[in-house]
Amino acid sequence: MLTWEYPPRIVGGISRHCEGLARELVRMGHTVHIVTLEFPGAPPYEERNGVKIHRVPIELGHPNFIVWTLLFNHFMEKKVADISKHEKFDIIHAHDWLVAPVGIISKHYLRIPLISTIHSTEVGRAQGLYSPDSFLIDGFEWWLTYESKRVIVTSYAMKSELEQHFRLPREKVDVAPNGIDVSKYEINVDRDNVKRRLGIDPSERIVLFIGRLVPQKGVEYLIMAAPKIFERHPETRIIVVGNGWIKDRLQGLAYSTGYPHRIMFLGFLSDQDLTELTMSSDVLVIPSVYEPFGIVALEGMAAGVPVVASNVGGLAEIIEHDRTGFLAYKESPDSIAWGVNKILSDPGYAHWLVQNAKRKVYEMYSWKAVARRTVEVYEGAFRE
Amino acid sequence: MPDDVYLLYIMHNVGAINSNRALSIKEISRWASMEEQGVEENLKRLMENGYAEVNMDSGTKKYFITVDGIRKILSIYS
Repeated sequence: MLTWEYPPRIVGGISRHCEGLARELVRMGHTVHIVTLEFPGAPPYEERNGVKIHRVPIELGHPNFIVWTLLFNHFMEKKVADISKHEKFDIIHAHDWLVAPVGIISKHYLRIPLISTIHSTEVGRAQGLYSPDSFLIDGFEWWLTYESKRVIVTSYAMKSELEQHFRLPREKVDVAPNGIDVSKYEINVDRDNVKRRLGIDPSERIVLFIGRLVPQKGVEYLIMAAPKIFERHPETRIIVVGNGWIKDRLQGLAYSTGYPHRIMFLGFLSDQDLTELTMSSDVLVIPSVYEPFGIVALEGMAAGVPVVASNVGGLAEIIEHDRTGFLAYKESPDSIAWGVNKILSDPGYAHWLVQNAKRKVYEMYSWKAVARRTVEVYEGAFRE
Repeated sequence: MPDDVYLLYIMHNVGAINSNRALSIKEISRWASMEEQGVEENLKRLMENGYAEVNMDSGTKKYFITVDGIRKILSIYS
């Protein structure tokens, strides 16, 4: 399995997807090698939960990101060639455009099927192709799907997007959703203590955002909704967890609402702290403008937190409005505020959403189900 | 892209991601095609926000980006 991020290198959802899938594939009796990039403090090789993880040092840099990507692909290619001297692979599975070159070269070198998972597209992330870098990335994405025997996506919205944008045949694209480790949330959390650690009074309520601080996540719409939430529920805090290149802009926007002290930016949190904070929150908001899947929604649902999410992409497939969560209009602070206020004002409604959501996550989004579906795709590619 | 984020981006891409691979202001200035004074000012801001750190190497200050800095830059492309 080829991926540019694998824990503890966590940038977006790819890292957790690869970890969950690899661990479950090993449980099913398969051997899984992960070839990924180095990260400060992580060993160059380790076995975790039976998964063999190779972290490749990037021995050469370049100021241009695309060139840097090609360079690290070269070092990953060398690692794959090295491992393949003593290990016979059946399938190469590449995750997203960043590892397209190593995936494609390894496929031809090893003469085995290449499967790719496209977690999101440049045209979706950037809401169009407006820069030379975007055109290049779009080209890499197309190249990877072209060279792949089968392409996996995590939602039907993404399947449709790929079929239209890259003109892929329908039968080449399979849907295997993201999964979640529900056992992570089967713990007791002292909510008052979690709040005190953050300097929040236990009586206050938490509206939580988790994700990268980039335009596609739509965090500004939650911040713009803040005054309408605080007017109805003054005892509430909005907590933003994550990092990204628009963080300064968002902090400026939070200041301009007149409630900067009630909107907290916590940066990146450890897994343990994030789980405890999620379980201590009253509403989880996912205001994305583009979301191929939305694994954070599953995490909120499993943690027993009512979810307010934009009615876009994969979120609209995971969440049933007024049954397992609240679907807000895209790019609408008013709609977000309406959903948050409804949940905060009506504990019975919040409880109803949580119960339904938990049931759905347990039934449909276990890693076992995702791994089984992925293996079906592998076997199909192997047979063809 | 704001200047400080651009500097972080350059430092990441050329490999200044830990103390062993830290770079001097002169080296960063050359990679980023930015005046040394501008580099210094932006590095100060990055360090205040926890995105960069400095260490001393044979009497020269050398800078590298932190794990938070790496995550901030990678968020652009993921």
